[in-house]
Amino acid sequence: MRRAFLMVLALLTLGGVASPVLGVTAAEIYRETRCPTCNTPLDVSNSPAAQAIKDFIQQRVAKGQSEQQILGALEAEFGREVLATPPKEGFDLVAWLVPIVLVVAGLCAIPFVTRSWARRRNADVPAPDISPDDAARLEDELKHHPG
Amino acid sequence: MPDAPDDIGSDRRRLVGLIVGAVAAALIVGLLIVGLLAGGGSTAIDDTLVSGERPPAPDITLPVLVSGPGLPPAGQQVSLASLKGTPIVLNLWASWCGPCRDEAPILEAAWRRAKGRGALVLGLDLQDLSENARAFLTKYRITYPSLRDGTDASKRDLEATGVPETFIIDRKGRIALHITGQLTDVRQITVPLNQVLAEK
Repeated sequence: MRRAFLMVLALLTLGGVASPVLGVTAAEIYRETRCPTCNTPLDVSNSPAAQAIKDFIQQRVAKGQSEQQILGALEAEFGREVLATPPKEGFDLVAWLVPIVLVVAGLCAIPFVTRSWARRRNADVPAPDISPDDAARLEDELKHHPG
Repeated sequence: MPDAPDDIGSDRRRLVGLIVGAVAAALIVGLLIVGLLAGGGSTAIDDTLVSGERPPAPDITLPVLVSGPGLPPAGQQVSLASLKGTPIVLNLWASWCGPCRDEAPILEAAWRRAKGRGALVLGLDLQDLSENARAFLTKYRITYPSLRDGTDASKRDLEATGVPETFIIDRKGRIALHITGQLTDVRQITVPLNQVLAEK
């Protein structure tokens, strides 16, 4: 049992050493790329056009090109529309900033909204009617428990 | 009795909330309408052809992938408008498209018959890697010229739904025929092209 455990451990260790992920993987670039014919990210597309682009990416990853180089080459071929996410520069930065601004604005609005709701609820609830007997008993109780 | 300041503030907040909500709802409805209109795909070209008219071909300007008669060298831009006066068989294709491979010999045969008569068979490579496109042309011994569009802009302008599709454009730059899908017989091209060539 112990020997088997050690063998598994050794295999896992060797596996880790034998296949280190040093650079960008093709799968990472698939997620950054849009299939031009089906308008979905490349990693979830199996169309012939997507397959051709996957081959293109794999060849360049194998050559050791960086993510920026590969995405740049794809953009030169297909235009900016090939990028699954807009670049974080120029006007495209708006697409990244607007959701963050909206979330922050929403979080900031929560205290105001909840306070407003609480105030409205308090104002809406009328004071309960109380019978003369109950009023007398309440008065009596308060006298006995002044604190 | 005048309203208490708290009531006035509450009414104002409610009004602001209503306005913000209405603006947000209007924006969402507007985006939905724009999305529906943009994604719906126009059929104006086919509708005009069905009514018996010839719609003008969109003025597409694209780089030349492989040059040919009347075209600038590869890499330079050419517009369809600049080719007015020449009947054109415009074929939309891509290297990853199986039916495009199957119909390529038909277009090549049409090109061999047409080029001596002043017509042009012109490929339009779409949504394709240019190195794959050039390899395709070499592998299948295609000699007619091609343009290239990596985006889907020209496909949208031509109201094409995919590849392969073929248009015959007359001397006046009008679309005379639109064939969707794979060509199976050279006469699908030669018969209408002869008619267009006979027109002055």
